[in-house]
Amino acid sequence: MIAGLGLLIGIVLGLLLQPQVPLWMEPYLPIAVVAALDAVFGALRAFLDGIFDDKVFVVSFVSNVLIAALIVYLGDKLGVGGQLATGVIVVLGIRIFSNVAAIRRHIFHA
Amino acid sequence: MPARTTARPAPPRPTPATPIPGLLDHITAHSLDEDYAHVSAQRAAAAEKPVKPGSAALVVMLLFGLLVAIAGIRTAHNAPASQTNHAELVTQVKAQSAKVDALRRQIDGLQGDISSLQGQSAQAAAEGQSLSTQLTRLGVLAGTVPVQGPGVRIVVDDAPDGSAHVKDTDLQLLVNGLWQAGAEAIAINGQGAKTFGTAPERLTSLSAIREAGSAITVNYHRSLSPPYVITAIGNQNQLPARFSNTSGGQAWFDLHAVFGLRFQMTPEESLTLPAAHRLSLHVATTPVTLR
Repeated sequence: MIAGLGLLIGIVLGLLLQPQVPLWMEPYLPIAVVAALDAVFGALRAFLDGIFDDKVFVVSFVSNVLIAALIVYLGDKLGVGGQLATGVIVVLGIRIFSNVAAIRRHIFHA
Repeated sequence: MPARTTARPAPPRPTPATPIPGLLDHITAHSLDEDYAHVSAQRAAAAEKPVKPGSAALVVMLLFGLLVAIAGIRTAHNAPASQTNHAELVTQVKAQSAKVDALRRQIDGLQGDISSLQGQSAQAAAEGQSLSTQLTRLGVLAGTVPVQGPGVRIVVDDAPDGSAHVKDTDLQLLVNGLWQAGAEAIAINGQGAKTFGTAPERLTSLSAIREAGSAITVNYHRSLSPPYVITAIGNQNQLPARFSNTSGGQAWFDLHAVFGLRFQMTPEESLTLPAAHRLSLHVATTPVTLR
């Protein structure tokens, strides 16, 4: 409940304030979103498993976003940014799908 | 007896107890952060109650929402921009190619103009050439341009004993006779007129020969004194004979025979006659019908 409230407030704040993102940060926004999505779905699954923990959620969220952005940044510097971004998205996407499958099993008991 | 070591075949390497799973299997199996299970097991061991999502979760979810909103806004901002850019470029390309077409048509038209103007210019040049030739021909006749050609030189003078003088009418007779005989250009000069230089005076349709006092004046301003030199351009073979048949020739034959005036005619291979000094009309104009 409190997590959904936070999500709602965050989206509304973002839409209302429309904060300016520095230009150098813009290429890393999509990959950061995917990494954050992975952390959020993981937290939801843990919550449904009954093993959720605030501290673990914070750490996994921040580290996911930072590491994803760092890998892509490094790839950009090495000239293989596109390939590394693809790899990160593939791994995170598989994780997201399997987490969502577990969540689905929890909700529909299927 | 030395023990014979029999080479036994090495036992086959044991396969790893835990086979290495495929990468995809591994990712799928470990899709959930293992920290959750770890922390949960620790809590269970410490007999703590499982925690509910707290303010930290709220903050993180707020951050997530913010991130999603920003990314969405950026994407939404960029898409229409690139779309409008594309539409604008298409419009520009169309406008520029229309301009190029118009310029091509203009080039075609101008090239047509150029060729027609070149034709006109060539025609005008030919006309100008013919007009210039015509002008020169007319100038020769009117006396406005110098003229060169074969002819005769006539020297007349007073009688050697001073009993008779050459009069203006005598010179008029002589010049008229030459015109009549077919001379095409005539000039007159007095060898005694040293004060006025030696250039002969071209005779034109406006010339007059008359006596002013003791001197004979040509063209109203040039006073001549004997002996008089008259140069006439014409057929040098026919001119003397035809001149002697004219009334002027007859008169001069008499003047020479009766009064003893000197008359000497010599054919010349090449004579150069200058242009007339003044040939401007102040009053006479062409009738309107001739313009």
